[in-house]
Amino acid sequence: MRKTIKAAFLGLISMAFVGSATADITFVSWGGAYTASQQKAYIDTWSKGSGVTVENYNGGLGEIKAQVEANNVTWDVVDVLPDQAITGCDEGLFLKVDQSHFIDDMVVKPVSECISPQIFWSYVAFYDPAAFPGKKPKTIKDFFDVKKFPGKRGIHTWANALIEMALVADGVKPKNVYKEMSSEGGIDRAFAKLDTIKDHVVFWSAGSKPLELVSSGEVVMSLAYNGRIGAAILQDGKKFNYIWDGQVLEQEYLVVIKGTKNEAEAREFVKHASTAESLALQAKYIPYGPMRSSSIDIIKKGEPYFNTGVDVLPHMPNTPKRLRRSVIADPFWWADNGAEVSERFGVWKGN
Amino acid sequence: MSSETISGPILTSDGIPLKVSLKKAERINKIRAFLLVLPLLAFILITFIIPIGDMLSRSVDDRYINTVFPKTFEVYKKWDKKGLPSEEVFKTMFLEIGEAKGFKIGKASTRMNYSKSGWKSLIKKSQRKFKKIKEGPYKDKMIAVDKRWGDPIYWKALGEMVDPTTFGYYLNAVDLKYDSNKEIIAQPENRRIYIHTWIKTFKVSLLVTIFTLMLGYPIAYLLATLPLKYSNLLMICVLLPFWTSLLVRTVAWMIILQQKGVFNNLMVMAGLIADENRWKLMYNETGTIIVMTQILLPFMVLPLYSVMKTISPSYMKAALNLGASPLHAFWKVYMPNSIPGISAGGLLVFIIAIGYFITPELVGGKDGQMIGNWIAYHLKTTLNWGLCAALGSVLLAVMLVFYWLYNKIIGVENIKLG
Repeated sequence: MRKTIKAAFLGLISMAFVGSATADITFVSWGGAYTASQQKAYIDTWSKGSGVTVENYNGGLGEIKAQVEANNVTWDVVDVLPDQAITGCDEGLFLKVDQSHFIDDMVVKPVSECISPQIFWSYVAFYDPAAFPGKKPKTIKDFFDVKKFPGKRGIHTWANALIEMALVADGVKPKNVYKEMSSEGGIDRAFAKLDTIKDHVVFWSAGSKPLELVSSGEVVMSLAYNGRIGAAILQDGKKFNYIWDGQVLEQEYLVVIKGTKNEAEAREFVKHASTAESLALQAKYIPYGPMRSSSIDIIKKGEPYFNTGVDVLPHMPNTPKRLRRSVIADPFWWADNGAEVSERFGVWKGN
Repeated sequence: MSSETISGPILTSDGIPLKVSLKKAERINKIRAFLLVLPLLAFILITFIIPIGDMLSRSVDDRYINTVFPKTFEVYKKWDKKGLPSEEVFKTMFLEIGEAKGFKIGKASTRMNYSKSGWKSLIKKSQRKFKKIKEGPYKDKMIAVDKRWGDPIYWKALGEMVDPTTFGYYLNAVDLKYDSNKEIIAQPENRRIYIHTWIKTFKVSLLVTIFTLMLGYPIAYLLATLPLKYSNLLMICVLLPFWTSLLVRTVAWMIILQQKGVFNNLMVMAGLIADENRWKLMYNETGTIIVMTQILLPFMVLPLYSVMKTISPSYMKAALNLGASPLHAFWKVYMPNSIPGISAGGLLVFIIAIGYFITPELVGGKDGQMIGNWIAYHLKTTLNWGLCAALGSVLLAVMLVFYWLYNKIIGVENIKLG
């Protein structure tokens, strides 16, 4: 009885979260220009694309967990971050998928058996060159150096990527960052570095915010999602410079939700969406980096590839040259330590 | 009817005793009344009682992990917490990790990770590599797989999970925790975030309530006393922002208040502040308070207005006629009459403010985050719903305490929404 009541209640919640179910599959992603690019690259090119309903969410597994627990799954395919991909797969919220068609073509190993590859995106620092008439910041070290480059910095309100960047700025090699973070005193070191800019930061939480902060002169440089900067440059003609150094690469995956009523179609859709051609096509509309090596080759051959007729590779985070100075975010580390570091980051922010 | 029947019970025309018939009619009425309130009752049950019950039970529920490691916890309880546990504990842990089917281990490791960061990857890695271990002794072989198995910290962290109910989440919600012997100790200093956030939440909510009252009272007074053609216009001015999207209003404030924003620019232009000393009014606690005050203002104005509308203007006239100064008359006559509105508005604003989360998220920046932001974080990111439930329950309990205090001091019967 208790179970039924609980299921009924959770069902109600999940209904509140999603509205109503649809006949074909429901694809859930982050909205904005990103979802628009997925629409063009995956949905419009799929033979059954007209049956796909697109919804937006703000990340996290809260809604998905509620749907699965209530046995009332209305989201079929969801676009998730790596730590969600791991936790969701571990907790049985996602279905395992066939990975044979892409497994040998991945830039990095897939984080779980439930995922189909999507894109790399990156936290990266950028600035308006007008703010620095003389010497311009070139490295992440400069971002953390308020003496050499005075002025405010925009950073996000959560700890991911900031810890990594602080350590790179403090002289840790990008490939050793997670070793340092797991070692005694590694996190202290990162926070000590963050302390040096603490009085000079403006926090943002929405992805469009850092562009405003830099445009309005509220800050002289900021961290942001590379796709947003790219879109501002490529589509809105803004004059921003990236600081391609110490950037933190994050991944984006598609997963199929366990208990979906359209399993076959959902599986077919993620397979279609993760072909090299689909991934490459997405880069025509947003400058995020495909996760399959062969997609990058397609883009390279197709340059100028972006839909406005300009080169897109200079805006991508995962070109081989850039990977050398990149930290590839380790979702396993964050799955382990995320809560603890986030609480500590909260203390750091508040004091 | 014959005379003999008069001594018996009074019968209705169809021969049923009147008492029974009456009872029946009453019962039908009762059922009808009950059916009328049934939708409301069901609504309250489904939207209030069950969720709150579910929240309360989740906040102390630790059964799941006990279904995954029942035997391990049984032998674990015998461990004296010195050095490493015995071979037997290692062995049962090893076996139960192997036996667990499907997603049980994944879910369990998420729970274990709440009490010690690292359990998640340790279990994941071990689950894969344990398959190669065919026989004991398990202790050394497990430590060979991952040296964390040889770290007593991980073992001690299990101590708080061995019972099917736990107050660990509540402790966590107030910066305390269990040690391995289930003694209550403080969290390490750099993780003490919740007490600080609780205080901030109450402080911000209280300040917002006070500011909305200070700003809302004169507005409501004007609304209630101005001639209709002006007060209608004023009412629209109050309601228009009320109907505007919360996000739009929040973003508008960002544009006005940020350091290179409209307000600071005007101040610098007027020469009132120096260009390099622009005021920090956004992305901090100040910003949160300013924006929340504006957003919640209608919730104060409307109850105040509806109460003030009922205060007869002749009271004030009488007081003035009898020789009271305007201030005195206001304080002794008008103000006490408007208390029900102040109470309703104050309680309404405070309750809404205490659980606010979107505005602090957007404008709170470094020190303007409230408890709602942490609940959202754990709900979505760490999936630590036990902690969410505990934080929510504390919030509920604090609200009830405030309500009780309020009832003691002012009296609930004094609340009036109109």
